[in-house]
Amino acid sequence: MQTQANPFQHRQSTVRFLESLASGTIRVGTYLVLLAAACIFLTIGYKGAQTVFTPHWPFVNTEFFTEKPSTLYVFEWEGKKVEMSDDRFRAFKAAHKVEDIPAETYAHSAGGILPCIVGTALLVLGSMTIALVLGVSSAIYLSEYSRDWWLLRLIRLAIMNLAGVPSIVFGLFGFALFVGYFKWNVSLMAGWFTLAFMVLPVVITSAEEALKAVPQGFREGSLALGATQWQTIRTNVLPYAIPGILTSSILGIARVAGETAPILFTAAYVVLDRYPWQVAKWTDFFFQPVQALPYHIYVVSSKIPQNEYTERMQYGTAFVFLALVMLISLGSVILRIRLRHKLKW
Amino acid sequence: MKNPNRFDRKRLRIDHFIKWFFGSNALLAIIVLALITLFLFREGAEFFPQNLQNLRNYRLAGLEYVGLMRDQIEAHTALNRSLQDLRLRQSNALLKAGKTPEQVTAALARFDAFAAAFDSSVDELRGVISELTDAVTEIKDKAKLREDALQQRKFLLTEGKRAEADAVPVAKIDFAAQLAPIKAAFPLYQKTSLVFRGKIETLLLQPPSLPVREFQPRFEQFQKAARAYLTTFPATERKLAEWNQFAPVPWHRAITSFLFGTEWITNSFWQDWYGVLPLLTGSVMVAVIALVLAVPMGVCAAIYVSELASPVEKQLIKPYIEFISAIPSVVIGFFGVAILGEKLRELTQWQALSWISGFPISERLNAFTAGCLLALMAVPTIFSLAEDAINSVPRAFKEASYALGATRLQTVFRVLVPASLSGIVSAVLLGFGRVIGETMVVLLCAGNRIAIPDFTQGVSSLFQPVHTMTGIVAQELGEVPNGTIHYRALFMVGLLLFFLALCINWLAQAVVRRYKISIG
Amino acid sequence: MDETLKTAPPEAVAPASIEIDHLDFFYGDHQALFDINLAMPAHKVTALIGPSGCGKSTLLRCLNRMNDLVPVARIGHGQVRIHGTDIYGPNVDPIELRKRVGMVFQKSNPFPKSIYENVIYGLRIQGRTKRSDLDEVVERSLRQAALWDEVKDRLHESGLGLSGGQQQRLCIARAIAVEPEIILMDEPCSALDPIATSKVEELIFELKKLYTIVIVTHNMQQAGRCSDLTAFFYLGKLIEMDRTEKLFTNPAEKQTEDYITGRFG
Repeated sequence: MQTQANPFQHRQSTVRFLESLASGTIRVGTYLVLLAAACIFLTIGYKGAQTVFTPHWPFVNTEFFTEKPSTLYVFEWEGKKVEMSDDRFRAFKAAHKVEDIPAETYAHSAGGILPCIVGTALLVLGSMTIALVLGVSSAIYLSEYSRDWWLLRLIRLAIMNLAGVPSIVFGLFGFALFVGYFKWNVSLMAGWFTLAFMVLPVVITSAEEALKAVPQGFREGSLALGATQWQTIRTNVLPYAIPGILTSSILGIARVAGETAPILFTAAYVVLDRYPWQVAKWTDFFFQPVQALPYHIYVVSSKIPQNEYTERMQYGTAFVFLALVMLISLGSVILRIRLRHKLKW
Repeated sequence: MKNPNRFDRKRLRIDHFIKWFFGSNALLAIIVLALITLFLFREGAEFFPQNLQNLRNYRLAGLEYVGLMRDQIEAHTALNRSLQDLRLRQSNALLKAGKTPEQVTAALARFDAFAAAFDSSVDELRGVISELTDAVTEIKDKAKLREDALQQRKFLLTEGKRAEADAVPVAKIDFAAQLAPIKAAFPLYQKTSLVFRGKIETLLLQPPSLPVREFQPRFEQFQKAARAYLTTFPATERKLAEWNQFAPVPWHRAITSFLFGTEWITNSFWQDWYGVLPLLTGSVMVAVIALVLAVPMGVCAAIYVSELASPVEKQLIKPYIEFISAIPSVVIGFFGVAILGEKLRELTQWQALSWISGFPISERLNAFTAGCLLALMAVPTIFSLAEDAINSVPRAFKEASYALGATRLQTVFRVLVPASLSGIVSAVLLGFGRVIGETMVVLLCAGNRIAIPDFTQGVSSLFQPVHTMTGIVAQELGEVPNGTIHYRALFMVGLLLFFLALCINWLAQAVVRRYKISIG
Repeated sequence: MDETLKTAPPEAVAPASIEIDHLDFFYGDHQALFDINLAMPAHKVTALIGPSGCGKSTLLRCLNRMNDLVPVARIGHGQVRIHGTDIYGPNVDPIELRKRVGMVFQKSNPFPKSIYENVIYGLRIQGRTKRSDLDEVVERSLRQAALWDEVKDRLHESGLGLSGGQQQRLCIARAIAVEPEIILMDEPCSALDPIATSKVEELIFELKKLYTIVIVTHNMQQAGRCSDLTAFFYLGKLIEMDRTEKLFTNPAEKQTEDYITGRFG
């Protein structure tokens, strides 16, 4: 036996074997998660794209983005299967002077999703405005004014617990308070406040983090020059925290846009025959129900059968919604990275 | 010097005002929590008196009385079903053995005759009881009408409309008199049930022998069950005789029947039950399935990203998993309805898996489908919190371990994981909270059958459809009229969910606080 | 020992600008300053020296009530008087106080604004907006801070683009733009290289003609070079205070001698 062998050489042993085995398992586990998510992205992306895009000019299915959802009529006409939305079916009958054509009908499977997109946008805009105003003020108090006392600890506890409340409970709460007690009925306002309260913890936490990231020197420098606390915050803290606040609030937007349960009974209707801007009085605007993308997906995936005719609407809506939410989160990620590079103090 | 104090207070008032403005906003979180509790209570608390009235009416109107008899019939139906199951298994076995259908029928002729006789033995009793059932439901409907009238009167009185309130007709119901004919039918019941019993006894005296020997034990089991069933008859009769229409229903039954009731039946012609147990079981079962899948994966991913992955992988995997958490739950639910449910069912149809009892599964939407999807939703939560926990372990620990010649994984499992265990445990708890509170996925994919799953069936019990607390609220709240007991019951479910979420949250925080490793 | 300190140093014929009277100071339960008695004359530079953690920075921050911002900090006993007014008295607005008692921090902290905006920040928050006034103040302050020639062509560029020494002088310019009576400097040169340090020191020498200056420093040569009076602190207590050359050449206390000869600290 050669005694002068390199004492540090690599040795095969059970430990080594187990090590590589375990590493492999961990890697497989991780990639399994990634794969599962990819399945969802790809299926919905592939099938949805067939609805959303068209192979010829203008490459986008304009009908899908500019019309209301309507009932789909499938019938045979001169030996061919014809699919038509409600309005067109009626026009078709009138044009051909036929009283009635036997047809299969599928609710919500024709037309487009414009009112749902508009409704979701309105819900997000309103609730984020409310949540930002309330949340940022709250964060300013927490990070700039407060000292450590029992009430502050209680507030932090409340924020943490609020973050864990299930979204359906917010829905029940909004229904009891806004729809029932305040008599706002099922309306934009009720939805706004319900969603705003739901997303409040996210906004407060991210705003507080952004405020904390502003160096203490900025505050001291300002205070030492005789600025009041509010002057200091207004001129020397908030301006530098706002990019951070907005960036992390985008996460809140994704959450508000994505949730269905809170608007089930507070803001969303399955079908509405008017667009939100078609109101008699401007005050009615706030007290009208809206259609929303997530609710529409819920309806088309649970209330109508699965077949080749309904599939278009189902995957198309899911695709548009998923793409929207993903773009928002992508925006958040990119902005955050850029912000990290930009801010150096 | 004009003014000896040169640093006079000014402007402080505005500053104070601003401070108070922000301070009051900060209180909002507390206020919202308080409002949630308050309003869920406000809408839900009335449930208990209403439920108590519901339970009292159940007794007063005689539903409980006739219910005892109906249970007897249902037990017979269950026996009958097992008999039919036995028939199916035998004929399948015979067909497999190469017999023609005619041969099978012939071979099973004696068994069929026995089964048919067993089935029809109950007919007379059933006739008697169904008449009684109609009679008591009539009384119940009257009681219901009366209550509605009382409710309306109360409502009008609170509105201040006295005259209208007095005009609402409230019928008086003499429950004893109403129930008298039903109680008078007791001898008839006794007589018919005696005949029924005699029929079964004679049947059991000469059981047919089975053409397939291997099923003999099953058949004997059935006979034993049938004999046991017969022995319950005297007890039932005694209960019926002792039954007191005016025995008080204690108030706590209103609460226990909600928390521990095993049935959630609404809009039934018979009796509505609001027992949360099937929903709670469903919620917990789905959540447990989700966590069993998500915890290993989430923790694996956290370990992988923080310790094993190359920098490029790290750069890609972290935002990707963040992306997963941004997928809206309704889209995940849609994916389950459209794709995953069907794929899982196809998977269970594989020959290789046929040895598992209950496979292939019959329902494509079930607890397991929902659990899989929820696992995907819980992974990002668990991942990011667990990764934080692992990263917050001081570098010195890790370096000390490496310096002693430990490998990477030894360091991970012997140093990092133990040191960050409290963080990981709280991550798991928070993941549990998120999963149990999730609505859309379970509403779309859990199958929505309100029943406690039969856990005796082993693996396949995971593939039974269930209903959940979140799902029931989302499904039913839109359809019930305000103020009814059903409406209030849904708010109670919401309240329970709310407190459950708070408890889980509190527990997660307590774990972190209690077991935080001190650094330095 | 009290009596010897109360007798004002020979130079201080002018009325004392700052008087500290039996001051006790606490952070929560921890007492940081013990019974400090000190008088700082106007238009002189007073240096506070001592080893780390001896309370010299704490004392400095007491003088413009920056300690108010530390939640657990409180005055136990005693007074701080500036021009005869007890600055912890009930009718004192710390905001007004800080307008008159400027401060320069250890780590230069220009705001992420232009040089111009940095200098006039104090005026802006007082509501002064007249452009010509502001221009004048900027030039005067930057000249006083010996920074004018270096930055006059790029007044509207970010203050963060300056070198460390320039940033610190910008902070000094910012402090003197509001025309305070007293300037407090908390180790203003600790983060600077020797050349930048000497520039700041020259500046301090110039500034004392106009302002009363209190400077905390770690560096005894610096105290020797630019201060008129020096106070030596140890473990939260004032050990000795005297004219600088007296304290450095012939200290009265043994602890002082040990410290300045480098035997500890």
